[in-house]
Amino acid sequence: MQTLILGVSDLVALVNQTLEYAYPSVIVEGELSSFKLSKGKYVFFDLKDDESVVSCFMMVYQLRTALEDGMKVRVVAQPKLTAWGKFSLTVREVAPVGEGSIKRSFQLLKAKLEKEGLFDAGRKRSLPSMPQRIGLIASVESAGYADFIKILNGRWGGVDVTVADVLVQGTDASAQIVDAIRHFNEQAQPVDALVIVRGGGSAEDLAVFNDEPLVRAVAASRIPTLVGVGHEVDTSLADLAADVRAATPSNAAQILVPDREAIIRELHHKQQRMLTRLSVRRERITQHTTAAIERLLDRLQSALNVQQRHVKYARQTLRQLDPKVVLRRGYALVRDESGMLVRDAAALKAGVTIAIELEKAIINAGVKDVQPKE
Amino acid sequence: MSNPKNDKPLSDQLRELDELIAWFDQDDFDLDEALQKFDAGVKLTEEIEARLRTLENKITVLREKFGEGRA
Repeated sequence: MQTLILGVSDLVALVNQTLEYAYPSVIVEGELSSFKLSKGKYVFFDLKDDESVVSCFMMVYQLRTALEDGMKVRVVAQPKLTAWGKFSLTVREVAPVGEGSIKRSFQLLKAKLEKEGLFDAGRKRSLPSMPQRIGLIASVESAGYADFIKILNGRWGGVDVTVADVLVQGTDASAQIVDAIRHFNEQAQPVDALVIVRGGGSAEDLAVFNDEPLVRAVAASRIPTLVGVGHEVDTSLADLAADVRAATPSNAAQILVPDREAIIRELHHKQQRMLTRLSVRRERITQHTTAAIERLLDRLQSALNVQQRHVKYARQTLRQLDPKVVLRRGYALVRDESGMLVRDAAALKAGVTIAIELEKAIINAGVKDVQPKE
Repeated sequence: MSNPKNDKPLSDQLRELDELIAWFDQDDFDLDEALQKFDAGVKLTEEIEARLRTLENKITVLREKFGEGRA
Protein backbone atom coordinates (compact mmCIF):
# COMPACT_ATOMS: atom_id res chain seq x y z
CA MET A 1 0.00 0.00 0.00
CA GLN A 2 1.30 3.32 -1.08
CA THR A 3 1.30 6.06 1.49
CA LEU A 4 -0.66 9.07 0.29
CA ILE A 5 1.18 12.29 0.78
CA LEU A 6 -1.00 15.36 0.77
CA GLY A 7 -0.30 19.06 0.61
CA VAL A 8 -1.74 21.08 3.52
CA SER A 9 -4.41 22.65 1.35
CA ASP A 10 -5.23 19.23 -0.07
CA LEU A 11 -5.70 17.94 3.42
CA VAL A 12 -8.03 20.78 4.30
CA ALA A 13 -9.96 20.19 1.07
CA LEU A 14 -10.15 16.47 1.72
CA VAL A 15 -11.42 16.95 5.25
CA ASN A 16 -13.99 19.44 4.00
CA GLN A 17 -15.15 17.03 1.29
CA THR A 18 -15.57 14.33 3.86
CA LEU A 19 -17.39 16.64 6.23
CA GLU A 20 -19.65 17.88 3.48
CA TYR A 21 -20.48 14.34 2.48
CA ALA A 22 -21.09 13.16 6.01
CA TYR A 23 -22.72 16.32 7.42
CA PRO A 24 -24.05 18.57 4.67
CA SER A 25 -26.09 20.35 7.28
CA VAL A 26 -26.19 20.11 11.05
CA ILE A 27 -28.55 21.66 13.52
CA VAL A 28 -26.87 22.50 16.77
CA GLU A 29 -28.21 24.04 19.93
CA GLY A 30 -26.01 25.73 22.47
CA GLU A 31 -25.24 28.85 24.44
CA LEU A 32 -23.97 31.81 22.51
CA SER A 33 -20.75 33.46 23.59
CA SER A 34 -18.07 35.82 22.26
CA PHE A 35 -20.57 37.28 19.79
CA LYS A 36 -19.01 39.96 17.59
CA LEU A 37 -19.57 41.74 14.29
CA SER A 38 -16.60 42.41 12.05
CA LYS A 39 -16.40 45.14 9.39
CA GLY A 40 -20.20 45.26 9.30
CA LYS A 41 -20.12 42.12 7.17
CA TYR A 42 -19.09 39.12 9.21
CA VAL A 43 -20.45 37.62 12.40
CA PHE A 44 -18.33 35.51 14.72
CA PHE A 45 -19.46 33.71 17.83
CA ASP A 46 -18.91 30.56 19.82
CA LEU A 47 -21.47 27.94 20.61
CA LYS A 48 -20.90 26.10 23.83
CA ASP A 49 -22.30 23.73 26.40
CA ASP A 50 -20.88 22.54 29.70
CA GLU A 51 -18.04 20.66 28.08
CA SER A 52 -17.35 21.89 24.55
CA VAL A 53 -17.01 25.00 22.47
CA VAL A 54 -17.33 25.36 18.68
CA SER A 55 -16.50 28.49 16.64
CA CYS A 56 -19.14 29.79 14.31
CA PHE A 57 -19.08 32.15 11.36
CA MET A 58 -21.83 33.75 9.30
CA MET A 59 -22.59 36.75 7.10
CA VAL A 60 -24.37 39.74 8.62
CA TYR A 61 -27.17 39.65 6.03
CA GLN A 62 -28.06 36.14 7.19
CA LEU A 63 -28.67 37.42 10.67
CA ARG A 64 -32.38 37.87 11.17
CA THR A 65 -32.58 38.56 14.82
CA ALA A 66 -30.74 40.32 17.59
CA LEU A 67 -28.31 38.14 19.54
CA GLU A 68 -26.18 38.53 22.61
CA ASP A 69 -23.95 36.37 24.73
CA GLY A 70 -25.68 33.98 27.08
CA MET A 71 -28.64 33.31 24.79
CA LYS A 72 -29.62 29.79 23.93
CA VAL A 73 -29.63 29.50 20.15
CA ARG A 74 -30.17 26.94 17.44
CA VAL A 75 -28.01 27.10 14.35
CA VAL A 76 -28.29 25.45 10.97
CA ALA A 77 -24.76 25.13 9.72
CA GLN A 78 -22.16 23.27 7.78
CA PRO A 79 -19.05 22.07 9.60
CA LYS A 80 -15.81 23.19 7.99
CA LEU A 81 -12.11 23.23 8.47
CA THR A 82 -10.74 26.66 7.72
CA ALA A 83 -7.60 27.38 5.75
CA TRP A 84 -6.00 28.12 9.10
CA GLY A 85 -6.76 24.64 10.27
CA LYS A 86 -9.46 25.72 12.62
CA PHE A 87 -12.71 23.83 12.91
CA SER A 88 -15.72 26.08 12.49
CA LEU A 89 -19.41 26.01 11.72
CA THR A 90 -20.50 28.08 8.71
CA VAL A 91 -23.91 29.15 9.88
CA ARG A 92 -26.83 29.70 7.51
CA GLU A 93 -29.48 30.39 10.12
CA VAL A 94 -29.43 31.21 13.77
CA ALA A 95 -32.44 31.70 16.00
CA PRO A 96 -32.89 32.00 19.74
CA VAL A 97 -34.63 29.06 21.41
CA GLY A 98 -36.48 28.89 24.68
CA GLU A 99 -38.81 31.52 26.04
CA GLY A 100 -36.12 33.54 27.80
CA SER A 101 -33.84 33.85 24.78
CA ILE A 102 -36.67 34.59 22.36
CA LYS A 103 -37.92 37.32 24.67
CA ARG A 104 -34.47 38.77 25.09
CA SER A 105 -33.83 38.74 21.35
CA PHE A 106 -37.16 40.45 20.80
CA GLN A 107 -36.28 43.16 23.29
CA LEU A 108 -32.84 43.73 21.83
CA LEU A 109 -34.14 44.08 18.28
CA LYS A 110 -37.04 46.19 19.43
CA ALA A 111 -34.70 48.61 21.19
CA LYS A 112 -32.44 48.78 18.14
CA LEU A 113 -35.23 49.45 15.65
CA GLU A 114 -36.94 51.84 18.01
CA LYS A 115 -33.72 53.83 18.19
CA GLU A 116 -33.66 53.95 14.41
CA GLY A 117 -37.18 55.38 14.47
CA LEU A 118 -38.90 52.52 12.68
CA PHE A 119 -41.80 52.53 15.11
CA ASP A 120 -42.23 56.32 15.37
CA ALA A 121 -45.80 57.51 15.45
CA GLY A 122 -44.82 60.27 13.02
CA ARG A 123 -44.09 57.68 10.32
CA LYS A 124 -47.54 56.15 10.48
CA ARG A 125 -49.80 56.74 7.50
CA SER A 126 -53.52 56.27 7.62
CA LEU A 127 -55.25 53.66 5.52
CA PRO A 128 -57.74 54.69 2.82
CA SER A 129 -61.25 54.63 4.29
CA MET A 130 -62.65 52.61 1.39
CA PRO A 131 -59.81 50.78 -0.33
CA GLN A 132 -60.62 49.46 -3.79
CA ARG A 133 -57.54 47.33 -4.31
CA ILE A 134 -55.64 45.60 -1.58
CA GLY A 135 -52.69 43.26 -1.40
CA LEU A 136 -53.01 40.42 1.08
CA ILE A 137 -49.99 38.52 2.28
CA ALA A 138 -51.04 35.32 4.02
CA SER A 139 -51.09 31.58 3.78
CA VAL A 140 -54.31 30.68 1.95
CA GLU A 141 -54.44 27.45 3.95
CA SER A 142 -54.40 29.25 7.29
CA ALA A 143 -57.24 30.00 9.67
CA GLY A 144 -56.09 33.62 9.79
CA TYR A 145 -56.65 33.96 6.04
CA ALA A 146 -60.10 32.37 6.27
CA ASP A 147 -61.07 34.67 9.16
CA PHE A 148 -59.91 37.74 7.29
CA ILE A 149 -61.77 36.89 4.07
CA LYS A 150 -64.93 35.92 5.97
CA ILE A 151 -65.11 39.23 7.83
CA LEU A 152 -64.10 41.20 4.72
CA ASN A 153 -66.90 39.65 2.64
CA GLY A 154 -69.37 40.09 5.48
CA ARG A 155 -68.66 43.76 5.89
CA TRP A 156 -67.97 45.15 2.45
CA GLY A 157 -67.89 44.48 -1.29
CA GLY A 158 -66.25 45.67 -4.46
CA VAL A 159 -62.68 45.23 -3.29
CA ASP A 160 -60.09 43.64 -5.56
CA VAL A 161 -58.02 41.44 -3.28
CA THR A 162 -54.73 40.16 -4.66
CA VAL A 163 -53.31 37.43 -2.48
CA ALA A 164 -49.65 36.49 -2.18
CA ASP A 165 -49.77 32.97 -0.81
CA VAL A 166 -46.76 32.59 1.49
CA LEU A 167 -45.58 30.52 4.40
CA VAL A 168 -46.25 32.30 7.67
CA GLN A 169 -44.02 30.21 9.90
CA GLY A 170 -40.76 28.35 9.64
CA THR A 171 -37.43 29.21 8.17
CA ASP A 172 -38.61 30.24 4.69
CA ALA A 173 -41.52 32.35 5.85
CA SER A 174 -39.63 35.58 6.38
CA ALA A 175 -37.98 35.55 2.95
CA GLN A 176 -41.32 34.78 1.28
CA ILE A 177 -43.14 37.59 3.08
CA VAL A 178 -40.34 40.06 2.37
CA ASP A 179 -40.45 39.05 -1.28
CA ALA A 180 -44.23 39.46 -1.39
CA ILE A 181 -43.94 42.96 0.13
CA ARG A 182 -41.36 43.78 -2.53
CA HIS A 183 -43.65 42.38 -5.24
CA PHE A 184 -46.58 44.60 -4.25
CA ASN A 185 -44.35 47.64 -3.91
CA GLU A 186 -42.89 47.13 -7.37
CA GLN A 187 -46.23 47.15 -9.21
CA ALA A 188 -46.78 50.03 -11.63
CA GLN A 189 -50.18 50.58 -10.04
CA PRO A 190 -49.68 49.77 -6.39
CA VAL A 191 -52.62 48.56 -4.33
CA ASP A 192 -54.27 50.95 -1.86
CA ALA A 193 -53.21 48.99 1.21
CA LEU A 194 -51.05 46.03 2.06
CA VAL A 195 -52.38 43.59 4.64
CA ILE A 196 -50.33 40.90 6.36
CA VAL A 197 -52.25 38.39 8.46
CA ARG A 198 -51.54 35.26 10.39
CA GLY A 199 -53.61 33.55 13.05
CA GLY A 200 -52.48 32.68 16.54
CA GLY A 201 -49.64 30.33 17.32
CA SER A 202 -46.80 29.64 19.71
CA ALA A 203 -44.11 32.24 20.35
CA GLU A 204 -41.81 30.28 18.04
CA ASP A 205 -44.46 30.16 15.30
CA LEU A 206 -44.93 33.90 15.49
CA ALA A 207 -41.19 34.58 15.71
CA VAL A 208 -41.02 35.20 11.97
CA PHE A 209 -42.86 38.47 12.53
CA ASN A 210 -39.98 39.59 14.74
CA ASP A 211 -37.51 38.84 11.99
CA GLU A 212 -35.38 41.91 11.28
CA PRO A 213 -35.51 41.93 7.45
CA LEU A 214 -39.28 41.41 7.58
CA VAL A 215 -39.79 44.21 10.08
CA ARG A 216 -37.64 46.52 7.97
CA ALA A 217 -39.57 45.58 4.80
CA VAL A 218 -42.87 46.40 6.52
CA ALA A 219 -41.50 49.74 7.67
CA ALA A 220 -40.08 50.52 4.23
CA SER A 221 -43.24 49.69 2.27
CA ARG A 222 -44.41 52.54 0.06
CA ILE A 223 -47.91 51.13 0.34
CA PRO A 224 -49.59 51.72 3.73
CA THR A 225 -49.45 48.54 5.78
CA LEU A 226 -51.88 46.81 8.11
CA VAL A 227 -50.56 43.89 10.12
CA GLY A 228 -52.77 41.51 12.06
CA VAL A 229 -50.79 38.69 13.58
CA GLY A 230 -51.69 36.20 16.29
CA HIS A 231 -54.06 36.84 19.14
CA GLU A 232 -54.83 40.10 20.84
CA VAL A 233 -52.14 39.58 23.45
CA ASP A 234 -49.37 39.07 20.90
CA THR A 235 -47.33 42.02 19.79
CA SER A 236 -44.78 41.46 17.06
CA LEU A 237 -42.20 43.89 15.78
CA ALA A 238 -43.95 43.77 12.39
CA ASP A 239 -47.05 45.06 14.23
CA LEU A 240 -45.04 47.95 15.60
CA ALA A 241 -43.52 48.78 12.21
CA ALA A 242 -46.87 48.68 10.41
CA ASP A 243 -48.80 51.85 9.73
CA VAL A 244 -51.80 50.30 11.43
CA ARG A 245 -51.83 47.38 13.81
CA ALA A 246 -54.73 44.97 14.08
CA ALA A 247 -55.14 42.66 17.05
CA THR A 248 -56.12 39.65 14.92
CA PRO A 249 -56.77 38.84 11.24
CA SER A 250 -60.53 39.38 11.79
CA ASN A 251 -59.79 42.72 13.39
CA ALA A 252 -57.66 43.61 10.35
CA ALA A 253 -60.70 43.18 8.10
CA GLN A 254 -62.78 45.28 10.49
CA ILE A 255 -60.20 48.06 10.38
CA LEU A 256 -59.70 47.87 6.62
CA VAL A 257 -63.25 48.25 5.36
CA PRO A 258 -66.39 49.90 6.69
CA ASP A 259 -69.44 47.84 7.62
CA ARG A 260 -72.00 48.03 4.82
CA GLU A 261 -74.90 47.87 7.29
CA ALA A 262 -73.53 50.91 9.13
CA ILE A 263 -73.12 52.77 5.85
CA ILE A 264 -76.68 51.86 4.82
CA ARG A 265 -77.98 53.14 8.17
CA GLU A 266 -76.02 56.32 7.58
CA LEU A 267 -77.52 56.60 4.08
CA HIS A 268 -81.02 56.45 5.51
CA HIS A 269 -80.06 59.03 8.07
CA LYS A 270 -78.74 61.31 5.32
CA GLN A 271 -81.91 60.90 3.29
CA GLN A 272 -83.94 61.79 6.37
CA ARG A 273 -81.78 64.84 6.92
CA MET A 274 -82.44 66.09 3.37
CA LEU A 275 -86.15 65.52 3.89
CA THR A 276 -86.14 67.38 7.19
CA ARG A 277 -84.30 70.33 5.68
CA LEU A 278 -86.71 70.36 2.77
CA SER A 279 -89.75 70.26 5.09
CA VAL A 280 -88.37 73.04 7.25
CA ARG A 281 -87.81 75.16 4.18
CA ARG A 282 -91.30 74.45 2.84
CA GLU A 283 -92.81 75.20 6.22
CA ARG A 284 -90.96 78.49 6.38
CA ILE A 285 -92.16 79.46 2.91
CA THR A 286 -95.75 78.51 3.84
CA GLN A 287 -95.49 80.58 7.01
CA HIS A 288 -94.22 83.58 5.05
CA THR A 289 -97.05 83.26 2.52
CA THR A 290 -99.69 82.85 5.22
CA ALA A 291 -98.35 85.86 7.09
CA ALA A 292 -98.41 87.96 3.91
CA ILE A 293 -102.00 86.97 3.14
CA GLU A 294 -103.01 87.70 6.71
CA ARG A 295 -101.43 91.14 6.53
CA LEU A 296 -103.27 91.82 3.26
CA LEU A 297 -106.59 90.69 4.72
CA ASP A 298 -106.04 92.89 7.78
CA ARG A 299 -105.40 95.87 5.56
CA LEU A 300 -108.51 95.15 3.48
CA GLN A 301 -110.57 94.77 6.64
CA SER A 302 -109.50 98.11 8.05
CA ALA A 303 -110.15 99.83 4.70
CA LEU A 304 -113.59 98.25 4.71
CA ASN A 305 -114.23 99.42 8.28
CA VAL A 306 -113.41 103.00 7.32
CA GLN A 307 -115.78 102.78 4.37
CA GLN A 308 -118.51 101.29 6.54
CA ARG A 309 -118.15 104.10 9.07
CA HIS A 310 -118.45 106.65 6.26
CA VAL A 311 -121.62 105.04 4.95
CA LYS A 312 -123.14 104.89 8.43
CA TYR A 313 -122.41 108.57 9.07
CA ALA A 314 -123.80 109.57 5.69
CA ARG A 315 -126.91 107.54 6.37
CA GLN A 316 -127.41 109.27 9.74
CA THR A 317 -126.91 112.68 8.18
CA LEU A 318 -129.38 111.90 5.45
CA ARG A 319 -131.86 110.66 7.99
CA GLN A 320 -131.68 113.97 9.88
CA LEU A 321 -132.48 115.81 6.64
CA ASP A 322 -135.64 113.83 5.91
CA PRO A 323 -138.65 116.34 6.15
CA LYS A 324 -140.73 113.65 7.83
CA VAL A 325 -138.22 113.53 10.65
CA VAL A 326 -138.40 117.29 10.91
CA LEU A 327 -142.24 117.17 11.04
CA ARG A 328 -142.00 114.47 13.72
CA ARG A 329 -140.03 116.89 15.83
CA GLY A 330 -142.99 119.36 15.71
CA TYR A 331 -142.10 121.52 12.78
CA ALA A 332 -144.66 122.26 10.02
CA LEU A 333 -144.49 122.85 6.28
CA VAL A 334 -146.49 125.74 4.94
CA ARG A 335 -147.69 125.75 1.32
CA ASP A 336 -149.55 128.45 -0.59
CA GLU A 337 -152.61 127.93 -2.64
CA SER A 338 -150.53 126.70 -5.56
CA GLY A 339 -148.93 124.08 -3.30
CA MET A 340 -145.51 125.76 -3.25
CA LEU A 341 -143.60 125.86 0.03
CA VAL A 342 -143.74 129.23 1.65
CA ARG A 343 -140.18 130.29 2.37
CA ASP A 344 -140.79 134.01 2.53
CA ALA A 345 -143.77 135.30 4.49
CA ALA A 346 -143.74 138.44 2.38
CA ALA A 347 -145.34 136.43 -0.39
CA LEU A 348 -148.46 135.85 1.79
CA LYS A 349 -151.22 138.30 2.25
CA ALA A 350 -154.14 138.31 4.67
CA GLY A 351 -157.08 136.42 3.34
CA VAL A 352 -155.23 133.78 1.35
CA THR A 353 -155.55 130.12 2.15
CA ILE A 354 -152.55 128.13 3.16
CA ALA A 355 -152.01 124.45 3.84
CA ILE A 356 -150.06 123.59 7.03
CA GLU A 357 -148.58 120.09 6.94
CA LEU A 358 -147.89 118.45 10.31
CA GLU A 359 -146.57 114.92 10.83
CA LYS A 360 -149.94 113.34 10.66
CA ALA A 361 -152.35 116.03 9.35
CA ILE A 362 -152.74 118.84 6.88
CA ILE A 363 -154.52 121.90 8.14
CA ASN A 364 -156.05 124.30 5.61
CA ALA A 365 -156.14 127.74 7.15
CA GLY A 366 -156.72 131.29 6.23
CA VAL A 367 -154.09 133.95 6.83
CA LYS A 368 -155.28 136.71 9.10
CA ASP A 369 -152.20 138.74 9.33
CA VAL A 370 -148.50 138.54 8.46
CA GLN A 371 -145.96 140.09 10.82
CA PRO A 372 -142.22 139.96 10.19
CA LYS A 373 -140.09 138.63 13.09
CA GLU A 374 -138.12 141.13 15.01
CA MET B 1 -66.61 46.05 -9.81
CA SER B 2 -69.51 43.77 -10.53
CA ASN B 3 -71.99 46.53 -11.33
CA PRO B 4 -71.86 47.11 -15.09
CA LYS B 5 -74.13 50.14 -14.92
CA ASN B 6 -71.87 52.17 -12.74
CA ASP B 7 -68.12 52.18 -12.85
CA LYS B 8 -67.82 54.99 -10.36
CA PRO B 9 -66.21 53.85 -7.14
CA LEU B 10 -68.60 53.74 -4.21
CA SER B 11 -66.48 56.27 -2.38
CA ASP B 12 -67.10 58.77 -5.21
CA GLN B 13 -70.84 58.20 -5.04
CA LEU B 14 -70.80 58.64 -1.26
CA ARG B 15 -68.86 61.87 -1.68
CA GLU B 16 -71.42 63.05 -4.24
CA LEU B 17 -74.18 62.35 -1.75
CA ASP B 18 -72.36 64.27 0.98
CA GLU B 19 -72.10 67.25 -1.35
CA LEU B 20 -75.86 67.11 -1.94
CA ILE B 21 -76.48 66.98 1.82
CA ALA B 22 -74.14 69.92 2.33
CA TRP B 23 -76.18 71.90 -0.19
CA PHE B 24 -79.24 71.36 2.00
CA ASP B 25 -77.37 72.70 5.00
CA GLN B 26 -77.21 76.23 3.63
CA ASP B 27 -79.54 78.75 5.29
CA ASP B 28 -81.59 79.62 2.27
CA PHE B 29 -82.33 77.70 -0.88
CA ASP B 30 -84.72 77.66 -3.74
CA LEU B 31 -87.53 75.17 -3.18
CA ASP B 32 -87.71 74.00 -6.80
CA GLU B 33 -83.98 73.38 -6.90
CA ALA B 34 -84.23 71.65 -3.53
CA LEU B 35 -86.89 69.28 -4.83
CA GLN B 36 -84.69 68.39 -7.77
CA LYS B 37 -81.69 67.85 -5.51
CA PHE B 38 -83.77 65.82 -3.10
CA ASP B 39 -84.92 63.54 -5.93
CA ALA B 40 -81.31 63.17 -7.07
CA GLY B 41 -80.29 62.42 -3.48
CA VAL B 42 -82.93 59.74 -3.04
CA LYS B 43 -81.94 58.15 -6.34
CA LEU B 44 -78.27 58.19 -5.39
CA THR B 45 -79.00 56.74 -1.95
CA GLU B 46 -80.98 53.89 -3.46
CA GLU B 47 -78.27 53.22 -6.00
CA ILE B 48 -75.56 53.14 -3.35
CA GLU B 49 -77.61 50.87 -1.11
CA ALA B 50 -78.28 48.48 -3.99
CA ARG B 51 -74.59 48.40 -4.84
CA LEU B 52 -73.62 47.87 -1.21
CA ARG B 53 -75.98 44.93 -0.96
CA THR B 54 -74.85 43.26 -4.18
CA LEU B 55 -71.16 44.09 -4.61
CA GLU B 56 -68.81 41.22 -3.96
CA ASN B 57 -65.09 41.18 -3.38
CA LYS B 58 -62.90 39.73 -6.08
CA ILE B 59 -60.15 37.53 -4.73
CA THR B 60 -57.19 36.58 -6.91
CA VAL B 61 -54.44 34.36 -5.56
CA LEU B 62 -51.15 35.02 -7.34
CA ARG B 63 -49.60 31.95 -8.93
CA GLU B 64 -46.16 33.31 -8.34
CA LYS B 65 -43.93 31.65 -5.72
CA PHE B 66 -42.36 34.09 -3.35
CA GLY B 67 -38.98 34.05 -1.69
CA GLU B 68 -37.38 31.55 -4.01
CA GLY B 69 -33.70 32.22 -4.44
CA ARG B 70 -33.95 35.37 -2.33
CA ALA B 71 -32.42 35.99 1.03
